[in-house]
Amino acid sequence: MRHIPTVADRELRSMFVSPVAYGVLSLFSILGGVFFILYLADFSAYVFQLQQMQAMQELEATNLSDHLVNGFYGSMSMVLLFLIPGITMGLFTSEKANGTQELLLTSPLTIWDIVLGKFLAAATFVALLAAIVGMFPAILFLYGDPELGKTVAGLLGVLLVGWTYAAIGCFASSLTRSQVLAFLITFVILLCLLLVPAVADLGIAGSAPAVAEVLRWLSTGNHSAELSKGLVDTSDLAYFAVIIGVFLFLTKAIVESIRWR
Amino acid sequence: MIEAKGLSKRYGDVVAVDDVSFSIGKGEVVGFLGPNGAGKTTTMRMLTGFLPPTEGTAVIAGHDIFENAIEARRSVGYLPETPPLYPEMTCRSYLTYVAKIKDVPRAERRGAVDQAVERCGLSDVHRRVISTLSKGFRQRVGIAQAILGDPPVLILDEPTVGLDPLQIREIRSLIAGFAAPGKGETQQTVVLSTHILAEVEAICRRVILISGGRKKVDAPITELTSGGHSLEEIFTQETLRDASVDLEGEG
Repeated sequence: MRHIPTVADRELRSMFVSPVAYGVLSLFSILGGVFFILYLADFSAYVFQLQQMQAMQELEATNLSDHLVNGFYGSMSMVLLFLIPGITMGLFTSEKANGTQELLLTSPLTIWDIVLGKFLAAATFVALLAAIVGMFPAILFLYGDPELGKTVAGLLGVLLVGWTYAAIGCFASSLTRSQVLAFLITFVILLCLLLVPAVADLGIAGSAPAVAEVLRWLSTGNHSAELSKGLVDTSDLAYFAVIIGVFLFLTKAIVESIRWR
Repeated sequence: MIEAKGLSKRYGDVVAVDDVSFSIGKGEVVGFLGPNGAGKTTTMRMLTGFLPPTEGTAVIAGHDIFENAIEARRSVGYLPETPPLYPEMTCRSYLTYVAKIKDVPRAERRGAVDQAVERCGLSDVHRRVISTLSKGFRQRVGIAQAILGDPPVLILDEPTVGLDPLQIREIRSLIAGFAAPGKGETQQTVVLSTHILAEVEAICRRVILISGGRKKVDAPITELTSGGHSLEEIFTQETLRDASVDLEGEG
């Protein structure tokens, strides 16, 4: 296990050699700016409207956290849905294309060194993306006073969602030799996680409430929503740990199975 | 140094390697001969721990590839058919990375990389990005990667394929040097696969011929050619006999 940082370090360096990483970071910052301004404009229009209508009660209930920051976090999580498959698609596929898979598997590295090293690299990149997301609410603290707890907990939600996507991306990348296919597999799994609660609520909530409950639990969105309310509950944290753990275990099994084919 | 005991590899009904055993002593340079698809690469992959044998096992430098897998892998420097390179890295940072994952201690890492660069004639290009190197240099980076950390066993899968005659000569003398090292260098046991007969005659003392997944010949070259037959005649005879058996089987 002590070579996890070695593998992660090489992976990150390779990411930053190509222009893709810089492109992704720039694009993400620009999108963040655009979304933030849109939410800000929306918020001020809403507050202005309430003031016009003299709706003091609603005005009292309106705050930066619920009406601006959470929406912004939600949008940025959606952007991650498209970006992260692009970051993780090359993790294992490029090792197969370069033939370096043979180097890794015949070196004294363990499979966990390889899998966790790669995940750590992707997770570090995601942390960078989350830091960009965090920059925007930080500006709000200069001019207003959003709730610190909710803002930080929500950001933690973005980070955990990103890590979950990265673990799924790792898994997809270990399945195939093709980067395009790895991207698509990741994207499909992520879409399933996103659409699962909708299916649960529409279709089978009445007929099979137990199944619906399980499906609802599977939805990433439900858990990050809890976090953005400022509720850091162990059960939500456990959800992210379980999903990440399951996909990393699957990745390990797939990489190991290369030996048994 | 290398003890293969009844190695077999089957993919479903297809038998890639069938009950191959041999024993290679310290400092030997053994040529693995055979037509394409004979099972050379599969046998080498089993010795390096990349593929597990369906049956049988191997002991590398005293370590069983199943029971002591990590130690066995640590004892082998392996050059696969295509050199396992990261094109975006510089030659030096790549070799440093390989030294790290091969557990070369931090204090010795720099020296080990310097030595590999030196021995493989990479001194002029070691700061260049691998994707800009010529095929010959890439092959040498592949060999440098294999000898890093002075493993007692070197397994080289077609080390000269696709090179020009001059490069081939350089690589051959490099390999010959591993088994007969200079002062302060470790003597290594070398197994190399090829289907170029001249290559075997040039570097190896002993030949193991594999055809159709089975070991056909295992003898010193001098013994094989003592009866007046050339290596080529023996090769053709052994592999053709195999082919004719196949044809009869189908007819």
